[in-house]
Amino acid sequence: MNRNPLTVSVNGAEHVLSVPGDRRLLDLLRDELGLMGVREGCGVGACGTCTVLLDGVPVNACLTLAVTTRGRSVTTIEGLARDGELHPVQQAFLEERGFQCGFCTPGMILTAVGLLRENPSPTVEEVTDYLGGNLCRCAGYPDMIRAVLRGAERCREAGGRPSATPEGPEAARLRAMGKGEEG
Amino acid sequence: MGFDLLEPRTVAEAVELHARDGNAVFLAGGTALLILQRQGLPLPRRLISLRGIPGLDEITAGPGGGLRIGALATLRQVERHPLVVRRVPLLAEALRQVANVRVRHTATLGGNLAHGDYRLDPPAPLLVLGAQVRAVGIGGEREIALAAFFRGLFETALQPGEVVTELAIPPTPPSGGTYLKYALSSNDWPCVGAAALVALDDHGRCREVRLALTAVAAAPVLVRGLDELARGEPVSDRLAARLADIAAAQVEPVGDQRGSEWYKREMARVFARRALLAAARRAEAGPVGDGTKEPVA
Ligand SMILES: Cc1cc2nc3c(=O)[nH]c(=O)nc-3n(C[C@H](O)[C@H](O)[C@H](O)COP(=O)(O)OP(=O)(O)OC[C@H]3O[C@@H](n4cnc5c(N)ncnc54)[C@H](O)[C@@H]3O)c2cc1C
Ligand code: FES
Ligand code: FES
Repeated sequence: MNRNPLTVSVNGAEHVLSVPGDRRLLDLLRDELGLMGVREGCGVGACGTCTVLLDGVPVNACLTLAVTTRGRSVTTIEGLARDGELHPVQQAFLEERGFQCGFCTPGMILTAVGLLRENPSPTVEEVTDYLGGNLCRCAGYPDMIRAVLRGAERCREAGGRPSATPEGPEAARLRAMGKGEEG
Repeated sequence: MGFDLLEPRTVAEAVELHARDGNAVFLAGGTALLILQRQGLPLPRRLISLRGIPGLDEITAGPGGGLRIGALATLRQVERHPLVVRRVPLLAEALRQVANVRVRHTATLGGNLAHGDYRLDPPAPLLVLGAQVRAVGIGGEREIALAAFFRGLFETALQPGEVVTELAIPPTPPSGGTYLKYALSSNDWPCVGAAALVALDDHGRCREVRLALTAVAAAPVLVRGLDELARGEPVSDRLAARLADIAAAQVEPVGDQRGSEWYKREMARVFARRALLAAARRAEAGPVGDGTKEPVA
């Protein structure tokens, strides 16, 4: 089996790995790095339970080949808390009871963090639209939307980026577009 | 199973790598390829990733209006780009309705077109905008009108080993445009998609009408022969219904999970009519375009 060298930053730590070329990022994160917050629901890009931030942008780990993350930075739900303190969006999900069984929750929260990077003050419609591709079988959507709005408020109060995770050029560009800095 | 990811730094290098191994496959966002893998089609032994080629994802203003979109720009980059939003809002409107935000963050416009699936959304708005595909192969560079690009089911005009590098959208006449997607749930593939562009003269009569439909034939359909009927006519429900009948006669749906052949044809008629009327209303309310009064053929 051809193994491909892979250096990738996961939750802030650099990993030097060697992976089969057809391994999905989802399997790498779960089976080799033990990050069980990344979950396989549909396996075909439709449900959002496998969401991770790649250079700060939410993508499907089930549709990403691990080797294509070379030199990039991956954030999973395990990497959001800082110094034992939950990320403001995580805290807001707790306070608003934004989950029931919790299966979809990591994907929901990471997607919300991705949204707030682009758009720190989203409307209800914008939250609904951005999170529309994350499915919850328990269907507690209104609580989640409230949680995202509360998380957004917290992030704004804290005055910082919605997350301390490294931001790649793509995330920076999308954010700049949101502010109309480009063009 | 052995497997290599090749990462060329230039288009010429990518073309060269393919010339050395004709079984290699280009990889852009990888969303379509990974779905195929999941469906049991193994990945080829060599993937040639286009992602690392600098500059292939740029979006710039075209000469004399219009714009150029690099093939590796993600659907999300395109839908949010100020130039796209301003000059071709129809395209941004359509892209916002593709899949979910995670797929759009990864999937590229070039990959979407090269994939050649019959039920993709972006081809419809791009057809009415008169887009041109620029491709580079071992024999050099060429431009292919999008209208001549889609050949059939998963079949495009691309030669093996040709890389799509850019999409050029010419200036649009002042007009109203819309993309209506009929799907069984949001985020789903289209059952039918209809893109319309309507330009009106100073008296509110049709100057030019363009319409494209997706998911209702083996390849997206740019409807022919609308102007003959519409030019000089005031917009009315009756006119839109007659144009929609012309459109319905040009589709050749293959029934799928999202509708039978009959259903898709009837929905093509319904959505063609609605899209034409919606585009005309936008043209009346405040046309967008590059200020040229000349229709672009
Ligand atoms: C869950 C889900 C839902 C979806 N829903 C929709 C939807 O509602 N509407 C819709 O339109 N689409 C939908 N799609 C499809 C999606 O838009 C396509 O998969 C995507 O656009 C393909 O782009 P890519 O960059 O990922 O291509 P890849 O998977 O990288 O490549 C696709 C094909 O094109 C070739 N290729 C790629 N780039 C080039 C290039 N520059 N030059 C030459 N050949 C190239 C590759 O070799 C391959 O054969 C959905 C996909 C998923 C996973
Ligand atoms: S498992 Fe990846 S989107 Fe469902
Ligand atoms: S909380 Fe159970 S799936 Fe969402």
